[in-house]
Amino acid sequence: MAQRAVWLISHEPGTPLCGTVRFSRRYPTVEKRAKVFNGASYVPVPEDGPFLKALLFELRLSDDDKDFSESRDSCSHINKTSIYALLIGGEELWPVIAFMKNGMIYACVPLVEQTLFPRPPLISISGISQGFELLFGVQGFLYSGQKNDSELNTKLSQLPDLLLQTCPFGTLLDANLENSLDSINFASVTHPQKQPTWKAGTYKGKPQVSISITEKVKSMQYDKQDIADTWQVIGVVTCKCDLEGSMPNVTISLSLPTNGSPLQDILVHPCVTSLDSAILTSSSIDAADDSAFSGPYKFPLTPPLESFNLCYYTSQVPVPPILGFYQVKEEEVQLKITVNLKLHESVKNSFEFCEARIPFYNRGPVTHVEHKVSFGQLEVFREKSLLIWIIGQKFPKSLEISLSGTVTFGAKSHEKQPFDQICIGGTAYLKLHFRILDYTLTGCYADQHSVQVFASGKPKISTCKLYRFKLT
Amino acid sequence: MSSRHAAPRQGLACLTMGPTSRETWAQRLGTFRASPSAFMAGPEGEDLGRHLLSDLRSEKLSEPTKISLLALSLEYPAQLWPDAPAAEAAATSLLDTLVLLPPRPSALRRPLLLAATTALAAGGALGPTSGASRRLLPLLLGLASGRDLGRSFGPASEQRTLQATAWECLRELESCKPGLLGGCLGLLRGLLGQEGAVQPLSLLLALALRNALVIQARARAGLQGLLVAGDWPTEGGPWNWMLAEEGDAHLQPQAPSWPAAEEGECRLATLELSPEEARELRAAVAQLLDASYLLTPVAQAQLLWLLGWALRGLRGQPPVLFKPQLVRLLGTAQLTLLHAVLALKAAFGEALFTAQDEALLLRRLTLAAQHPALPLPARLFYLHCLLNFPENWPLGPAGEEAAPLLLGSQLCRGLLPSLLHDPTALLARLHLLCLLCVEDEEKEEKGQDQSPRRYLEELLAGLRQRAALDGGPRALATLCFQASYLVARCLAGQPVVLTPLTHGLAQLYRAQPALAPHFVDLLDRVGPELGEPLKVVLRQEVVSRPGRDEALRWHLQMLARVADGDAQSATLGFLQAAAARCTDWGLQQALLQVCRALLRAGVGGGLADLLQALARQLEDPDGRDHARLYYILLAHLEEPKLGVALGPSLAAPALASSLVAENQGFAAALMVQEAPAPIRLSVGPHRAKGPVPVLQLQVEVLEQVYSLELRFRVERQIYAPLGAVHVPCLCPGRPTRPLLLPLQPRRPAPSRLAVRALYTTPSGLTCHARLPPLLVNFADLFLPFPQPPEGAELGFFEELWDSCLPKGTESRLWCPLGPHGLEALVSRHLEPFVVVAQPPTSYLIAIRLPPDSRLLLRLEAAQADGVPVALRTDDWAVLPLVGDCLRGLSVAG
Repeated sequence: MAQRAVWLISHEPGTPLCGTVRFSRRYPTVEKRAKVFNGASYVPVPEDGPFLKALLFELRLSDDDKDFSESRDSCSHINKTSIYALLIGGEELWPVIAFMKNGMIYACVPLVEQTLFPRPPLISISGISQGFELLFGVQGFLYSGQKNDSELNTKLSQLPDLLLQTCPFGTLLDANLENSLDSINFASVTHPQKQPTWKAGTYKGKPQVSISITEKVKSMQYDKQDIADTWQVIGVVTCKCDLEGSMPNVTISLSLPTNGSPLQDILVHPCVTSLDSAILTSSSIDAADDSAFSGPYKFPLTPPLESFNLCYYTSQVPVPPILGFYQVKEEEVQLKITVNLKLHESVKNSFEFCEARIPFYNRGPVTHVEHKVSFGQLEVFREKSLLIWIIGQKFPKSLEISLSGTVTFGAKSHEKQPFDQICIGGTAYLKLHFRILDYTLTGCYADQHSVQVFASGKPKISTCKLYRFKLT
Repeated sequence: MSSRHAAPRQGLACLTMGPTSRETWAQRLGTFRASPSAFMAGPEGEDLGRHLLSDLRSEKLSEPTKISLLALSLEYPAQLWPDAPAAEAAATSLLDTLVLLPPRPSALRRPLLLAATTALAAGGALGPTSGASRRLLPLLLGLASGRDLGRSFGPASEQRTLQATAWECLRELESCKPGLLGGCLGLLRGLLGQEGAVQPLSLLLALALRNALVIQARARAGLQGLLVAGDWPTEGGPWNWMLAEEGDAHLQPQAPSWPAAEEGECRLATLELSPEEARELRAAVAQLLDASYLLTPVAQAQLLWLLGWALRGLRGQPPVLFKPQLVRLLGTAQLTLLHAVLALKAAFGEALFTAQDEALLLRRLTLAAQHPALPLPARLFYLHCLLNFPENWPLGPAGEEAAPLLLGSQLCRGLLPSLLHDPTALLARLHLLCLLCVEDEEKEEKGQDQSPRRYLEELLAGLRQRAALDGGPRALATLCFQASYLVARCLAGQPVVLTPLTHGLAQLYRAQPALAPHFVDLLDRVGPELGEPLKVVLRQEVVSRPGRDEALRWHLQMLARVADGDAQSATLGFLQAAAARCTDWGLQQALLQVCRALLRAGVGGGLADLLQALARQLEDPDGRDHARLYYILLAHLEEPKLGVALGPSLAAPALASSLVAENQGFAAALMVQEAPAPIRLSVGPHRAKGPVPVLQLQVEVLEQVYSLELRFRVERQIYAPLGAVHVPCLCPGRPTRPLLLPLQPRRPAPSRLAVRALYTTPSGLTCHARLPPLLVNFADLFLPFPQPPEGAELGFFEELWDSCLPKGTESRLWCPLGPHGLEALVSRHLEPFVVVAQPPTSYLIAIRLPPDSRLLLRLEAAQADGVPVALRTDDWAVLPLVGDCLRGLSVAG
């Protein structure tokens, strides 16, 4: 369950190597075990240079994918997970966990406690999930609250110290790296009684519990007979419990109004101590019917100090919140577009913002736009071949708005204009972004009565709801 | 004992160097990290380890600089201290530095503990004879258990932070040397009941418990009261190495830790526990599991893996202990926890999971594999777990991916692939879809509309449409062919899927002939179910549209792969038409490749005419020559001979038929290729004769090679540079003579030889391979003294014995003996060096250590279990080596 080495590589397309190793750490005691366990099939962890080259090639991130290369492009070279075999110096290094997020490649090599030939199934290697957690942890640390490059650099420079705390010998102790930062600061606090390792200290001050529910909806509306429209709500409940005592017991309940949409696919934070079987089995896999469990959803738990995601859920609401219609007609160099949007009457008509993005792909720059909108205003980004329809804070009383117009394009020059594999010819889409404060689509809520605390003092409870929306 | 005295002296010797400045170190560390191997080969490489150790004590360097030095030693101990004695000396020096720190708070203590642990464990020095080990272990245990170690270890508050570190160090040492803490199990259990750091203690106890169970099962012994509290080991006092010595030999590749169902009888079943021991064990496991909620999720997962492993197959230990934890774990989004549950499922099967539990687990796994709130890599791993799910009663062959029985198509609705998915996700989900298609074959026949098969066809069509895009990235084409390959492999028996696939691919070729290399690759890899019909339609596709295509070179490349005896006239017609347009060398070669393919397929008459025409009409003389050669072969050779003549040995490996491959072939023939090692080298029995030590290298030949040149590089330049060894030819299966490699030591010490091989393959390529390094042991350097005249042996030995002092040193040690006693030990390992022998109890041994040292051993008054050894040498530096060597011999028997 240990890691032999960890790397962070920034992807820099256009540079000679296409990337730079920003951080690497090797674990020689684990390497020593790997040598014994893997026996004749042992392949040593390479130096940074060769590793970088091989990984970028395998991930198709080096610039040389013009020609067919059998070792990468062969039809039988199939990767179904984020775990790769890298060809380095004639030997194959396996398993290498690697994925890219925000231009940064996260990679590590877990220890396999047996011979590598024949390759054992990944499911049998404990180091695989541990490796993923380590990389997710590093990623979470680097991007929590990080806004620019200098902040990223500061965090990168803290990484060696943090890993010395959370992963001193290659075996991960805590995937929450921020926790370790705290524990360095809390180190002088004595532990009077048994305390969870994931709780670096104890809270002193006014008791307070805050809960925030955020829902996002992902919807695809095709307006075609043979393809069904889809819309799914994804919710996350974030909590922060400031309570005294080393292990306060708390029960948080989420409730639905009578016409609310049941929560499904519920995944909880590990601090939740037990789960009702109805919560465990309520799932989007089953066809929806009236017998679905509709709460209240009770989560007994011992909260950590920091803010945490109590649970994730999905839900299937009966109708999409906004129904869209988008039509494109090609007339020589012009495109004639028509858009109608209708807000469902059950949805709160008060937005923080609401806009529709209408991109055009595989064409030249926009040279001319003639348009008519029934509401809001249209902005044109010629070079990006993009129109943005700013709808604002409210739909009109009729709840229906429309846009029509013609867009003229200039000559296509390959490098600059956006390319897309799907939006060819008359295939196009528009994307709707909006946010509604203090509202959930499912109706899911938490209030004063939702929190039971078994500890001294009555806590102040604050809740908020947030609803984000993306429609395609 | 010898090594204990020698090591600190080495450590002190480095103190005489002047400290290096902070800037110099920063620059040096930077260069080192950029390429450790290049740095170590350079002028500064050899002394880096020594400088680092001495500068850690320098007062001029700041703490951050020292921490950066320690960080380096945590990552690269094998480069800094490449052998066990050096690692031992380094660990000793690090411990000395730790002890010498002033009592005020210091950020150095923690990294020093980690570094000393790493040096010992990674350097292979951990053991009962290592002085550093005997210092470090009680120190760690004392710090970990929170016993006050006096003011020398900083203020009490710092000791608490060191406590967790010490537990981690102990765990790492136990991982590298299973059984090391076997004697402390009772102690650890006692501590777990008290307050303090639960996580490190739980993990260490679980690991030590598992290791102890495995070792005792191998030895067919019980737990022998190990779980009941024991005494504290003290610094310098005896440490219980019994289990570790037992276990050390067994840190070997283990049987897959993922148990197959039939492996239920695994090794632990041999462990005989008394009812009392079984009760103690159950109590210990329950204690660990009850506190597991206090651990971080990743640590909980580690604990479950360890305990699952420990109890698997153990008689009288029902896994119900785990049950209370499962519901809590199944609800989480944590990858490690769900993975650990799967491990328990695999370990205990029906004993822990009923059929309903299995169904619930599958449901949660399916849900996790498609949950939009989880990151993609996690979802993909869950999908992998789904296809490798450890079922209670698996139906299919073991080791093959399959959809579990309880996973119906209803459950998989949310796991269908779509064009909008990332390629990896698409392929993973496509595989699942294929497996469902196999299952649904029967329902298909009833003609359902929304069948998985129809979905599959639409998806493949969409992929082909994208691959046909002009100027699209190659990844799109690759994805389309990977998907086609996956479908062809999973659904080989379903013509109803393969027929539309074949036609779809033909259409794709028509739209985008530049994908020819992908088609050739696909044809090379799929079975005949898709391969044969695809070949036919692709050939038709090529020959039916002559003339108007710009993509002639792709057509020719394609045809070279698909042309055979069928549809000769159409093929020849196409080639005749094409010949006129083959104006450049590349196209002509491609054309000739097609002719060659036809020749091998046994096409006769029409081809002769074409070749004759080509021999006249091609512009390029090389092309004309080839055409003429093919014509002559066709005209004069019978078909079977023709096959041989055109077989792969005739020409370079460019025969794979593409132009690109042809060019690559030429380039490859001119360049040195990096290749896997064609031979295996090992050090054979020691030859103790001649003026210098000579290594006998045994060769195991894996592939035929010619003109082999072996180059050796001595690590740390302990020996003079070695000459290359040349071998004209090696064939697998034929006996080989050992290769002799004379060594010229600059000082008598073991080392490693890096080995590289340069050779020519039977196909004429020049290749370069790195072989695993060879270890030269200390004993490999032993040479005998010239034989003294008969009768003068004793005098000769005594004279040598006396000559060692005062320059050298004397030491005594106890050499344990195996069951065969001293006589066997001497005759097996020391025979050539015996000067005076009085079997079976007494031997006087004189060993010459090149370049100019000597080692004299008196093995006298042997007892049943060991023999006292008096030794003298004129070179004090060899003392630690001798100790290790002698004990090594006795272990080897």
